[in-house]
Amino acid sequence: MAKRTGTHIGDGKRWFAVGLLFLWALPLQAQKVPVVEKHLANGMRLLLVERHDEPTVAGGWVAHVGSSNERLGMTGIAHLFEHMMFKGTPTIGTTNYQRDLEIIAAQERIRDEIRQEERKMRAQYRHGEIEDMLKPENRTPRYRELEKEFNKLITEQRDILVKNEFDRIYNGAGGSSMNAFTSEDMTAYFINVPANKLELWMWMESDRILHPVFREFYAERDVVFEERRMRTDSTPLGKFQEEFNALFWESSPYAWPTVGWPSDIPAISKAQADEFYSIYYSPQNITLILVGDLEPAKAEGLAQKYFERIPRGPKDPPDIVTLEVKQMAEKRMNAEAEANPQVDIVWHTVPFRHRDSYALEILAEVLSTRTGRLYKGLVLGSGVATEAYADQSSMKWEGSFSAGGEVKEGHKPEEVELGIYDNIEKLKKEEVPPEELQKVKNNFAAGEYRRLSSNFPILMHLVRNDGEGDWREINEAGPKIQAVTATDVQRVANKYFTKENRAVAVYTRKPGTSTKTQPAEEKQ
Amino acid sequence: MNVEVRSPKPEIRKKAETRGRAAATFGIPRSGLLRPSAAFVAATILFSSLGLNTVIAQAAIPDRPEKLSYPPLTYEPPAPDKARVTLKNGPIAYVVADRELPLVNIVIYVHTGSYLQPAGKEGLADLTGYLLARGGTKSKTAEALEERLAFLAAQLNSGIGENQGSVGLNLLAKDLDEGLAILREVLTAPRFQDDKITLRKQQILQAMKERNDESAAIEGREDGFLAFGEDFWANHYSTAASVDSITRTDLEQFHHQWFHPGNFIVAASGDFDRDQMVQKLEALFADWPFKGETPSAIPTNTTFAATGVYMVNKDVNQGRVAMMLPGILREDPDYFPVVIMNDILGGGGFTSRIMNRVRSDEGLAYDAHSSFSGGVYYPLTFSAGFQSKSRTVAYAVSIVLEEMKKIAAAPVTASELAVSKHGFIDRFPRTFATKAQVANTFAQDEFTGRYARQPDYWKTYRSRLEAITQDDVLRVAKKYLTPDKLVILAVGQKDQILLGYPDHPVKLAELVQGPLKDVPLRDPLTMKPLSQ
Repeated sequence: MAKRTGTHIGDGKRWFAVGLLFLWALPLQAQKVPVVEKHLANGMRLLLVERHDEPTVAGGWVAHVGSSNERLGMTGIAHLFEHMMFKGTPTIGTTNYQRDLEIIAAQERIRDEIRQEERKMRAQYRHGEIEDMLKPENRTPRYRELEKEFNKLITEQRDILVKNEFDRIYNGAGGSSMNAFTSEDMTAYFINVPANKLELWMWMESDRILHPVFREFYAERDVVFEERRMRTDSTPLGKFQEEFNALFWESSPYAWPTVGWPSDIPAISKAQADEFYSIYYSPQNITLILVGDLEPAKAEGLAQKYFERIPRGPKDPPDIVTLEVKQMAEKRMNAEAEANPQVDIVWHTVPFRHRDSYALEILAEVLSTRTGRLYKGLVLGSGVATEAYADQSSMKWEGSFSAGGEVKEGHKPEEVELGIYDNIEKLKKEEVPPEELQKVKNNFAAGEYRRLSSNFPILMHLVRNDGEGDWREINEAGPKIQAVTATDVQRVANKYFTKENRAVAVYTRKPGTSTKTQPAEEKQ
Repeated sequence: MNVEVRSPKPEIRKKAETRGRAAATFGIPRSGLLRPSAAFVAATILFSSLGLNTVIAQAAIPDRPEKLSYPPLTYEPPAPDKARVTLKNGPIAYVVADRELPLVNIVIYVHTGSYLQPAGKEGLADLTGYLLARGGTKSKTAEALEERLAFLAAQLNSGIGENQGSVGLNLLAKDLDEGLAILREVLTAPRFQDDKITLRKQQILQAMKERNDESAAIEGREDGFLAFGEDFWANHYSTAASVDSITRTDLEQFHHQWFHPGNFIVAASGDFDRDQMVQKLEALFADWPFKGETPSAIPTNTTFAATGVYMVNKDVNQGRVAMMLPGILREDPDYFPVVIMNDILGGGGFTSRIMNRVRSDEGLAYDAHSSFSGGVYYPLTFSAGFQSKSRTVAYAVSIVLEEMKKIAAAPVTASELAVSKHGFIDRFPRTFATKAQVANTFAQDEFTGRYARQPDYWKTYRSRLEAITQDDVLRVAKKYLTPDKLVILAVGQKDQILLGYPDHPVKLAELVQGPLKDVPLRDPLTMKPLSQ
C-alpha cells in the first residue's frame, strides 16, 4: 500500500502572526507557458512549446479515449489497445507483410472457434460444472485442439516477425522514457528523443496512427491480464478498491476498472480492437504535443508532412451521454484486508474545469499536508490516526472528493471517520482564516513553478490537461485557484459534503494476518 | 484516476492510482505558470518565420525510418571542475546557477548511514534522519518550523539511508536567506522534540505490521538476505524492540557524531548569483558548534546464498521471482561490457531478449527484466525477475535460464550491440538534463570517491561504450552468468507454483542444482522466522 504522508506536525499555534509576511503572496501575474496551438488539415491538433535547456524533445500525443468509452463485455479494451499500438505497422515489425496478414486472418478464424468453446465454458461455469474458466484443466477438448493449431500459426509468424522493432528503432536512436498510459479519460503515448531526431518521432508516430497492425494480439492480452494480477489481484487493497470504486459510481462508466474486469480481458477480440481504432483514433480525436529544443515553424511543417496523410475520420467519436445519477443514500463497504485498519470516504463532486473545482482543490489542501487540518486534528490532536489525506479529483465527465486515513492502533475506524466529518462540519460553519488560505495558495503557486523544471513534466502536464478537456488550464487554472475566496470554500463545503452524497469504505485487518501468529519461542 | 501503463521500466513506472487514494497526486496543484525566460520569448518570435514548411513538404516520406538523415548533434557534458568549490570549513560544493525559474535547490549529502548504528538500536539512523527536519530546532518548535516552511511553500526534507544522509531544501529564491538560516539550525541544533519522537516511533511500529502484507515487500526483503547474508549490516532490520529502545540522547549523539562540515558534500542549483551563493555557503558552514567524527569504512563482508530454489508461501495468484547471481563493483574494468550485456539480455526493456521471450512471445508476465548494477562500496548482484500467474512461474523461469545460457554461449549480433551502445550514447545528454541534475550528479561522484579516482568519467563515458565488442560481451556473459551459482527466490502460492502448467511440464526444482528450500515468513515485529 502506498503511504500517503510522512509524519506531519503542527498544533495550530498562530506563531507566524508576529511576522510581517502575514499576507505575503507570490507574484501571480507571472508569464504563462507559451504554448503555440496549430490545427492540421485533417482536424488533428498540434501543441508546441519551445525550450532550449537540453538537446532533447519530449514528444507525446493524446487520444481522447479511455475506459469510460467502453461498455460491459469489453472493459479494458482502451488499455489493451494502448499495448497493441507498440506492435508495429506494415513496415515495422515484419519482414513479410502479406504473409503476416494471412497468418493474422487465419489466427482470427481459429479464435472465432475458440470463442465458441469459451462460450460453452462460461455456461459450464454458470452451471457450477467448473469453478474457474482460466484453469488450464478446464479447457474443452476442442479448445485444446484449436489452441494447438493456433500455436502452430504463432510459430510460423515468428519467422517473419521483427520482434519489438518499434522499440528497437527508438532505443537505438537514443529515445528514452518511452511509455504510454490509459486512464478513464485518455490514452497517451510519449517519449524523449534527441533534438536532431524530431523527424524520427514524426515518422514513427504518424506511421502507427495511420496503420497499426495488431500482431501478437492474444499474447499481449495475456500480458495485460498479468498486469491486472500485479496491480489489482495480488496487492493487499487492489481488489477492494476496485470494488469500492464500482460501488461509488452508479451510472457513470467510471464504475468499471480501466484495466478491465477479469471476465472481459480474456474475451476481447481483435475485431473489437479494429472497430475501436476506427472510431476513436481518427485525427480529429488526437492532439500532438512537443516540448523542447525545436523550431516551431519547422516542427509544424514536419507535422503537416507526416500527419496530414492520415485521413480525417468520417464521423466524430460519440459523446458520453450517461451522467452519474444523483446519489440518494449513503453507501458503505466493510472490508477485511491484509492491511492496517483504514478509512476512505468519497463524495460526488464536480468534473474538470467546473467552476466549483477550484474551491474544492483549495478545500482539499486545507485538510491535507503536515500543517493541514486533518493531520493536526486526527494525528496530532485526538491521536486516532497515523496519517490522513484529502483530495479533489476533477475528471473529464465527473468528479469526486476523497478523504481518509489510517487508524492508529488502539482506536476504531469510526473515530477516524467521525474526526473527518468534524473537520468538514467546521469548514461548513466557519470561513477559513485569511492566513491559512494564503498559505494554501502560496503552495499552489510554488508547485506550479516546481513542475515546470524540464521538458518532460511540462509535456505530461499538457497531456493531462488536454486529455481531461482543455490544455489551456495549464495557464488558466492558476489564476482561478488564486481567486478562490473563503466564502467560496464554505459554500462548496456545504453543497457537496452531505451524508447521502458519500460512500465509505472501512478496512479492518483480516484475522490471522500480520502479528497474530507469533514465533513459537515468542509465545507467552 | 486509474492509470494503466504499458511498461514497468523503473524510471517511468507509475503506481496504479485509484480514485479513493490518490497518493501520487496528493497535495499537488494541477496547473502551471512559468516565469518569462529567454527561451520562451524566443518562441513567439521564431514562430512567425513559416517559410520552411514548403521546403519540408517537398521531400517524400521515406519508406523506412533508417532512410531518414539527421542534422548533427554535438554535445559535451558539463565539466565538474567548473562547478566545484572547496569551502573553507571542509565541504566540497557543486554550485550551478539556473535562472529559468525563481527557485533554489540545495542538498547537503552527509557521510553517515545505518551501517554506523549500534547493535540493538536498528532504526536509529532512519529516525534521526527523519526528525532532523521534522522535530524542530533550537529557536523553533517543530510546529513553528512546519508552519513557517508551509507558508513560504518551502520544502525541507532530511533522511539517512544505508550509507548516506541528506538534507534538502527547495524554496523560492526570494526566501533564500531565511531558508539558509533554517537549514543552519537544522544541521547544527535540531530539537528532536519529545512528542515528535513518540509520534514517529508509533508510526514506524504501525508500518512494521504491514511487512508481510505485500508479496513485493516480502520479495524485496528476502532478496537481500539471500544476496548478502543474514549477518550483513544492511540486513539488520529495525524491530519493535530496537525502535522502542531509541532515546533522545541516542538521536542527539548520532547527529553530533556525523553532522559536521567535514562529512558534507553540497549540491546547489537555481536562481542565484554563483559567487554570492558560494559566500552564503561559506557562512552556512562557518564556526560549527561541535566537532564530529570521521565514519569508518563501509563493511563489505557479504555472503551469497548456496545455489537452490527458495520459496516463500504467500496466498496471491501471481508469483514473484528473482533469479540471482553474485555481482561486481561499478569500478570493475568489466563494468561497461556488463552494462551492455545486461541491456541486451534483460535490461533494455522491450529491446531485450528476456522481455521478448517471456512477455512478447509467451504473454507470461507484464514485467520481465534483468539488472546488473555495479556496487559502489560492495558488489551487488545480477538479478533477473518477473511476476507470472502461479502455474506458469516454472515455465517462465526456464525461459529466463535459457536466455542466460544463450548469451553466455554465442556472441550477440552486431545489430543488438549497435542498438544497445548507441542507445546509451544518444541518451547520454539526459544525465545532465537540468542544472539540478548537474549539481547532484557531480556531488554524488564526489561523495562516492568516483570524482577523485576517475575525474574524466563522464568525459570518456561515450568512448568507453563505443569501444565494447561482441567478444567483450560474450566474455563477461561467460564469466558472470554462471548457472551453478544460481539462487532462485519465488514468493507466491507454493503448491500452485510447484504444480506447474500442463502444456509446459517444467519442474522448478529441476532447473537448478541446489535443493528446494522453504523460507518462512518473518515475524514483522522481531524479524525472526515464524514457525510454519
